[in-house]
Amino acid sequence: MTPLLTLEEVDTYYGAIHILQKVSLHVNEGELVCLLGGNACGKSTTLKTALGMVSPKVGKITFAGEDVTKKNTSHRVKMGIAVVPENRRLFGPMTVLENLKIGAYVRGEADPVDLERVFELFPKLKDRQSQLAGTLSGGEQQMVAVGRALMSRPRLLLMDEPSMGLSPRLVEQSFEMIAGLHAQGISMLVVEQNANMALSVADRGYVLQTGRIVLEGAAGDLAGHDELRRAYLGR
Amino acid sequence: MGYLGQQLVNGLTLGGIYALIALGYSLVYGVLQILNFAHGDVYMVGAFIGYFVEIALGGPSHTKVPVPVMIFIMFAVSMIGTGLLGIVIERFAYRPLRKSSRIAPLISALGVSILLQNAALLLFSANIRTYDTSSFIPSTAGFSIGSVNIDSVRFAVLILAMLLMFTLSKWVNKTQVGRAMRAIAVDRDAAVMMGIDIDRVIRWTFFVGAALAGAAGVMNGLLLRGVSNGMGFIPGLKGFTAAVIGGIGSIPGAMAGGLLLGVVESLTQGYLSTNFSDFYTFILLIAVMLLRPNGLFGKKAIVKA
Amino acid sequence: MSEDTSKLGIGTDEWVAQHEKRLQRRSGALGIVDLLNQRVSNKVRYSALGVAAIVFGLFVHNLYLLRIASNLGVFLMMTLGINIVMGFAGLLDLGFVAFYGFGAYAYALTSSSQLNQHWPTYLSVPAIVIATAFLGYLVSLPSRRLFGDYLAIVTLFFGQIFIQLVLSSDSITFPGHTDSTDITGGSNGIPGLDPFKLFGRAFKSTSDYYWLLLIVITLLLIAVVRVNRTRVGRAWRTVREDPLASQSMGIKVNNLKTLAFVVGAAIAGLAGAIFAGIQSAVFINGFDIPLLTLIYAAVILGGSGSIPGSIIGAFVMSVLPEILRVQNYSEFLFLAVLVITIGVIGKNWKKLAINIVSLIAIGYFVKALFSLSHMTTTPTKTWAIAPVSKALQYWLVLPANRIVWGNMAFIALVALVAYYSIAHEKIKPWLLPIIAYIAIFVWEDRLVADASTTRQLIIGAMLVVMMIVRPQGFLGKTRVEVL
Repeated sequence: MTPLLTLEEVDTYYGAIHILQKVSLHVNEGELVCLLGGNACGKSTTLKTALGMVSPKVGKITFAGEDVTKKNTSHRVKMGIAVVPENRRLFGPMTVLENLKIGAYVRGEADPVDLERVFELFPKLKDRQSQLAGTLSGGEQQMVAVGRALMSRPRLLLMDEPSMGLSPRLVEQSFEMIAGLHAQGISMLVVEQNANMALSVADRGYVLQTGRIVLEGAAGDLAGHDELRRAYLGR
Repeated sequence: MGYLGQQLVNGLTLGGIYALIALGYSLVYGVLQILNFAHGDVYMVGAFIGYFVEIALGGPSHTKVPVPVMIFIMFAVSMIGTGLLGIVIERFAYRPLRKSSRIAPLISALGVSILLQNAALLLFSANIRTYDTSSFIPSTAGFSIGSVNIDSVRFAVLILAMLLMFTLSKWVNKTQVGRAMRAIAVDRDAAVMMGIDIDRVIRWTFFVGAALAGAAGVMNGLLLRGVSNGMGFIPGLKGFTAAVIGGIGSIPGAMAGGLLLGVVESLTQGYLSTNFSDFYTFILLIAVMLLRPNGLFGKKAIVKA
Repeated sequence: MSEDTSKLGIGTDEWVAQHEKRLQRRSGALGIVDLLNQRVSNKVRYSALGVAAIVFGLFVHNLYLLRIASNLGVFLMMTLGINIVMGFAGLLDLGFVAFYGFGAYAYALTSSSQLNQHWPTYLSVPAIVIATAFLGYLVSLPSRRLFGDYLAIVTLFFGQIFIQLVLSSDSITFPGHTDSTDITGGSNGIPGLDPFKLFGRAFKSTSDYYWLLLIVITLLLIAVVRVNRTRVGRAWRTVREDPLASQSMGIKVNNLKTLAFVVGAAIAGLAGAIFAGIQSAVFINGFDIPLLTLIYAAVILGGSGSIPGSIIGAFVMSVLPEILRVQNYSEFLFLAVLVITIGVIGKNWKKLAINIVSLIAIGYFVKALFSLSHMTTTPTKTWAIAPVSKALQYWLVLPANRIVWGNMAFIALVALVAYYSIAHEKIKPWLLPIIAYIAIFVWEDRLVADASTTRQLIIGAMLVVMMIVRPQGFLGKTRVEVL
């Protein structure tokens, strides 16, 4: 199986601060991979690097077999990477429908078929489509964020902390939704702090600690791993 | 009553021009959060382009093409020309500064403004030119509603301004670029994550904003006002005032602010004093900033339509 | 930051610590400036300047030179004022010239037969300073919540309003009166002002004002340097660098900004009053945008926030226009600047030599083209007689219709410079001599004859380029932040 996304020995800096150190990971076609780690360990930076919002100083990034290290975000989204950002980052003063249409920006005008698909997935949104996105509840906003990402017909969906800021019940729903999308064959890279939740739906996982991958393996193995607990407890 | 009506019509025409200028400020501010000081001078360039197109087509009294066609070409060339100028200004004066401090683009814009004014002075000399509209559209042409006379140039300008504003609203609301523009105004990083090519959208924003200013410049010329290198300064300030009154970053706000400003100016000129009309505009600006710092319609720095 | 930390073999922290130094160490001519800058202490520099100024005042009696020196003094006061407002507190005050004009007109109205007021200088000048400060306070009020961009435009507008008010206040009809009163003299200005009367003497000559300015500027400099070290000075800098953080540290950000703004206005008012005294007349067109841009150009060139920078900037910007006014000098000056620029960009002597040789070659080539195509050129000299001009005559094309050719070349120059800034590194060296040639052509054929426009063009271009290349100015260290 060819990997859809790979990061090879990526080093990233913010100014003079070394964030990612020789991070290598890959996501295969149809796979759900989770990236675990505590606060400020470089999870979001990894996502941003994959998306092209942060450019690595050293290392190579490929997507669907093509070297995209030097390509900008717009290009990568066009190639099929979509993201559900941390805190969802909806365009609050715009309507739900407009938010979804923005998701299809790289495809030109939004395809009605894609819209139908999103509304099928989240029937609630169909009734709310002309409501301003900022006025929705947290769970509904999550739906819009996911729907917006799906509008570009992504081959790979990146999710940044899907559980953040949601109530426990909604977190559960959120991961059910992730599992559902996975079942439809969408490849995903999910960044999470909530390790148990993430590992319950993932195929494989990586553990990131202060900018380095310290552990990787199948989700089942990781879930029972002692070091995972240690990784969360201290340096 | 007739006098008041006349002043209102004049005010709305003037306001239409201010509104078109104000839109440029608001669009750019919404996307980049910078004040494009050079905007008034883009308006000046637009007026000059219109003038030279008129000359190229045979001059005011011997046009080689029918008058409506000539006016159309004047607007088209001027809008495209200033639009491109807007793109060039953004590329060279603002884009290199996108990550720098807040004061840098302001000073750079000031520099562009000085450059444009003096380049125009160098190339076109200090002579004041006019479109001489009355020699191809007789000033008697027009119609009356009751005792209010509306001459056809004024009417055309008013209609055209409204038409442009309407088109702009549609563009901002219904096209992907327009939506992307609003998305950038709300949250630039999120817009990038959606795959929006920021540079392209900013280019569009500058093009459209500058083109509207160019159209305003031609309208100003058609209304028999002089065209000269320093003509953009005061209208630039007024356009900014209109944008602030409406709430900077808000598109309907800029339109309403422009029209309001035009009417206020026209009424103060008609009833109070011609010399001090800019003074009243200034007082209005100060009053709005003190009482409603986000403008009459605006939520701060959000482009909405 | 192209170096890789691991290759340096030192710890990251050390590497970070050296970051600042590395940024400052520059190659080429600019590096020499830096070096000189570091060698001499500020005290020595200021004293040397003071001694030079005293010597100048004692031995120079040429009225023209004294005039220039006094104008420089007034100009310097204003750059110091702007330096407080923009450099220390980070506010863009574009109505600064209006405060200056207000001071001048206030002096004119209290010391002339215009309103038949002849206040003693000891009363009028302090009153003017206080009044201007208060006016500054009023103007800053509406923008308090939204400083930054808004302040910039509100003050710009204010400056324009000031001009209009002065222009149209020559026939004001007060309620209850039938005839109109002339307050400001409109566009005719107010002539015949009383001279300053200070220290028991009436100021008869420019020299008197020169000494007064010297004293005022010395006091001002001491004050500015002192304030910069006090709590307020530190607070200003904090506010400039990070208003939000300062706010949370309990600094009253808005009050500090207003204070800076008001102090700046007061200094401008004082400068205006002295200027009015020197001229013994006031005219409104001296307080318009061109002066404003000149002052800002001076502060930005020297380095906003840097006092020595302001002084140097003031020197350049107030003496340069005088030089440009004389064709002989301006022809020469440009070539000098151009060579230096090429030197700085080229960075090494070999490239510089190549550039200059190809520049000369291009000149002869174009000259040959013109004569081959029998283009009419003016054969006789139309330049002022100077060695440079004579030499140029054999090399540079002088078309018969210099305005048209000059304008076309100007457009081409702008386009080429714009293209240069985005051109590929491989193409740039080829473009450089061509740009230089066209620049010389435009300058000598078109711009020299139009000194005031040229000055503004240069300032405009300088502001843009400076912001992109070195926003902190030549001597400035920090970046100025407006919030």
